[in-house]
Amino acid sequence: MKFIETLVNGLSMGSTYAMIALGYTMVYGIAKMLNFAHGDIIMVGGYMLFVILSMTGNPFLGLLAAVVFCVILGVCIEKVAYKPLRGASPLAVLITAIGVSYLLQSTAQIIFGTAPKMVNVADLGSISLGEINVPVYTLVTLACSMVIMTALTLFVKYTRTGRAMIAVSEDKGAAQLMGINVNKIIMITFAIGSALAAFAGLFMLMKSPSLTNTLGAMPGIKAFTAAVIGGIGSIPGAMLGGLLMGVVEAISLTVPAIAPYTDAIEFLILIIILLVRPTGILGKKRREKV
Amino acid sequence: MKAMKTIKWKHYISYIVLAAVTVALAAFSFSGALKSSNLYLLEKIAISIMLAVSLSTVVGFLGELSLGHAGFMCVGAYLGGKCSVLLEPILGEFPALAVSVLVGGIVAAVFGVVIGLPALRLRGDYLAIVTLAFGEIVRSVFMNSSAESFGGSLGLETPRFDKNILFIIAFVLVIVCLAVTQNLIRSKHGRAITSIRDNEIAARATGINVTKYKLIVFTVSSFFAGVAGVLYSYSNYNVQSTNFDYNYSIEILVMVVLGGMGSINGSIIAATLITFLDVELQTILTGNLAVLQDLFYALILIVLVIYNNATSLKGFREKYNLKKLFGGLRKNHTVKDDEAKWHRVPTKIEMDEVLSVDLQVSSPYTPDKTDKEDK
Amino acid sequence: MKAILKRLALFVTVAAMLLSFASCGGANYTKDNTEYVIGFSGPLTGGAAIYGVAVQNSAQMAVDEINAAGGLNGIKFKLLATDDTHDASKVSANYANMLESGMQISLGTVTTSPGLEFTKLSKEDNVFFLTPSASGDKIPEFDNGFQMCFADGNQGKVAADYVNSTKLTKIGIFYKSDDPYSNGIYSQFKENLSSSIETVEAVFTGEAQDFSAQISALKDCSFIFMPIYYQPASVFMTQAKDIIAPNAVYYGCDGFDGLAGQFEDFSVIPQEVSMLSHFDSNATEGVAAEFIKKYTEKYGTDTLNQFGASAYDCVYAIYNAMKAAIDSGKTIDVTISASDLCEILKAQFKGEFKYSGVTGTDITWEDNGYVSKGAVKYTLKTAN
Repeated sequence: MKFIETLVNGLSMGSTYAMIALGYTMVYGIAKMLNFAHGDIIMVGGYMLFVILSMTGNPFLGLLAAVVFCVILGVCIEKVAYKPLRGASPLAVLITAIGVSYLLQSTAQIIFGTAPKMVNVADLGSISLGEINVPVYTLVTLACSMVIMTALTLFVKYTRTGRAMIAVSEDKGAAQLMGINVNKIIMITFAIGSALAAFAGLFMLMKSPSLTNTLGAMPGIKAFTAAVIGGIGSIPGAMLGGLLMGVVEAISLTVPAIAPYTDAIEFLILIIILLVRPTGILGKKRREKV
Repeated sequence: MKAMKTIKWKHYISYIVLAAVTVALAAFSFSGALKSSNLYLLEKIAISIMLAVSLSTVVGFLGELSLGHAGFMCVGAYLGGKCSVLLEPILGEFPALAVSVLVGGIVAAVFGVVIGLPALRLRGDYLAIVTLAFGEIVRSVFMNSSAESFGGSLGLETPRFDKNILFIIAFVLVIVCLAVTQNLIRSKHGRAITSIRDNEIAARATGINVTKYKLIVFTVSSFFAGVAGVLYSYSNYNVQSTNFDYNYSIEILVMVVLGGMGSINGSIIAATLITFLDVELQTILTGNLAVLQDLFYALILIVLVIYNNATSLKGFREKYNLKKLFGGLRKNHTVKDDEAKWHRVPTKIEMDEVLSVDLQVSSPYTPDKTDKEDK
Repeated sequence: MKAILKRLALFVTVAAMLLSFASCGGANYTKDNTEYVIGFSGPLTGGAAIYGVAVQNSAQMAVDEINAAGGLNGIKFKLLATDDTHDASKVSANYANMLESGMQISLGTVTTSPGLEFTKLSKEDNVFFLTPSASGDKIPEFDNGFQMCFADGNQGKVAADYVNSTKLTKIGIFYKSDDPYSNGIYSQFKENLSSSIETVEAVFTGEAQDFSAQISALKDCSFIFMPIYYQPASVFMTQAKDIIAPNAVYYGCDGFDGLAGQFEDFSVIPQEVSMLSHFDSNATEGVAAEFIKKYTEKYGTDTLNQFGASAYDCVYAIYNAMKAAIDSGKTIDVTISASDLCEILKAQFKGEFKYSGVTGTDITWEDNGYVSKGAVKYTLKTAN
């Protein structure tokens, strides 16, 4: 019983990570860059939701505004900060991404201050299964992640744009020669990634209503860890990695001796996975071509 | 001959200037002209320079991004601090400091090797994440340590060294750090290291022991981060692991980027400037204005990196050269081995290959999973 | 060669920049003072800014009131606020700057971690400080430091005594294992708790926002002791409202202050919420209510919390103590050195001096610097 309860808690925590990891893995898989600012786009989405919610009181309108704003922001960031660096060393791109992450955080702090804002999206209550209480938002988050995962997989597999994405991910130069507009494809990828970030923001706020400018920072890094564990670039892998991450966290938190070290354990698992199987659980091994 | 001489002078100029500054400041200090706020500032500057120079070897010369530099510093601060607590009653102040500096540095270096080992397999983004994870693990372990061992959440109480002397010791150690890193970079080994940065596979093909050099760089870099940590523990009464978070690693990275990748002198200047501004602005900027500082750092990172690397700005860069504008700030073109070229030699290898998994000639090329469908 | 010269010039500029700050410094920085200078270091920016800003506002309010009433025998007070962003490594610079700007008395630091550094620095120069909210047990380690808030260990002990008296057999504890405040209260609570009471413990670290696992662990407890700050507490309560029994009691310490402000409607939490504190920011009567009214008129409700109330009391306590010292025949010049003033104030605070204010009446101080005043159990909200 205790174990099932822990498992449910783990899925509850993991569903959020899975949601964020999906966004990470899309961008990483196709644009081949670690978008450090992904977590902060979540935060921006959260603030947008907060603003619209306090103005209109309608969570759906809030979500819509958050999605639209995040998509515009994501595309702008890509255009201004990442696009000029295409072809430059990955180090340069990574440092720029860190810079963007900082920029978003400090801008949010200037506008909204440091005091946490309480965002009450919607109280969905909880349902009890036997002795176990399952909050409804957990189920909603899980269901939504599943739907998004399936939709993304289908999109990538069966649409022209999706196939173009695979081509770009495989070889930008060759894709361009085949008549694919690489810049447009990467822009679409960022738009999708940012829209996912806005959704993740909503689900995070449904779970814990406290909104600060570092909302996305730590979950973002953990979700990236989850994406790596699942196999970066693999859409089902991100889902699996996210849920696994949540379960590990829940188990670790229920064992008193190691509970304070939970973060350390998660990062340790990341290091071990990268050492033993750097491509993650569902990822495919890639070779360097010469 | 004359040219040779010029180059030599150029190589030693940073030591000479730093030594001169140290001697002058020491003289000022003994004559009582320095206020304690100046002394605290000098200690911080010395620590920052050491951190920036040591990170610069990894980021600027080896071409790998480490986001866990504060983690190595944390190891040094705690271990060195603990050492000084234990040894000071037995050995006295100076010998305890010497031993602590060595212990802190060496333990950090050992961790550097441990983290350097994955560096053999991982590249780029993955290595950055591993170092970030390492920093967080270190912090978490010290934070939750027992009160007797490392003080736990209250931090480790360490002896503070006499502030009139500590900054001189710190600057002497900075000069040592500079000597070691400059000699490493300017030697044959240094050329090997920069060749790894420019094209790892080509470097390996020319017979360079990539493993060995990566480990050397990581070890040296983390050793001096550890030494900086020990200095930190001596310049504070209390070592708290909360200070060594990811943000601190980023601040060091900002110094390296602002100073110019692959320029040690640039790192020194940038570290001095940023630390100076940090401390001075700390008392001037309050409220929302203080956030502007973070905003400014973020902009420095973005603008400088894009300016230096954007492929479309190449023509512009060559036309309006920063080197021309700033004169000697950037390195002179006659010394090639000190030159940091950001761009790797364009090869077909394109950096979409983040993992350098060993070549397996026998296995046929299998594309990504998502690509499996028939076309 | 030209490039070298340029670089040399640059280094010299840097060196000159450093030296420009090296003006002739004497030991006596207070000799030009025209007002009594009170300084403190607190998080005016960053994640803990609401505490630092509350202290700054309240202390400034008290200083303004005192000055408007004519100051101390005609001499006014001045408040110096410096920002440490809750980072201990920034304290030394703040401290040195304040001292060089003529600081004579201090409110120490706002939070504990930087306070540990401040304690030792202030001992070097023998500067008196009365901290409003740095509650670590080691803050008044030396004879120049005093606290206006309860020390963590003391809070833990009082809470344990309360729990021992309730005949509970099983309680839950939820604390933040990497926080000195939470840890300090927890360890003393645990030590003083009667061994017949079974405990279930759950911890969190960092900025965790998802407490599903901890809530499951604690769900059978009808009494949960939570020595944490209000922000994570509010998140915990929101997530636990349907899972933990509605007749359970959440019991916190002074960190709970400000909790009600986190909810649009506090009654969505069915459980009882109580805290042991010296100030209730929802007070409707007495001096506390008066303070709340004055504060909210001036600065709004965003930063209203016990930190501010405590800081307000600190300034008045220092003012009263100086006044009492003068009345008893001591002379306190406006240019008195920090160290001399420290001796006078130390004698006052260790002597018969009593203070009544917003956070308590007849407050006295023990010789070890801990405050001695009544801790009140406030019920923030009864069970629905």
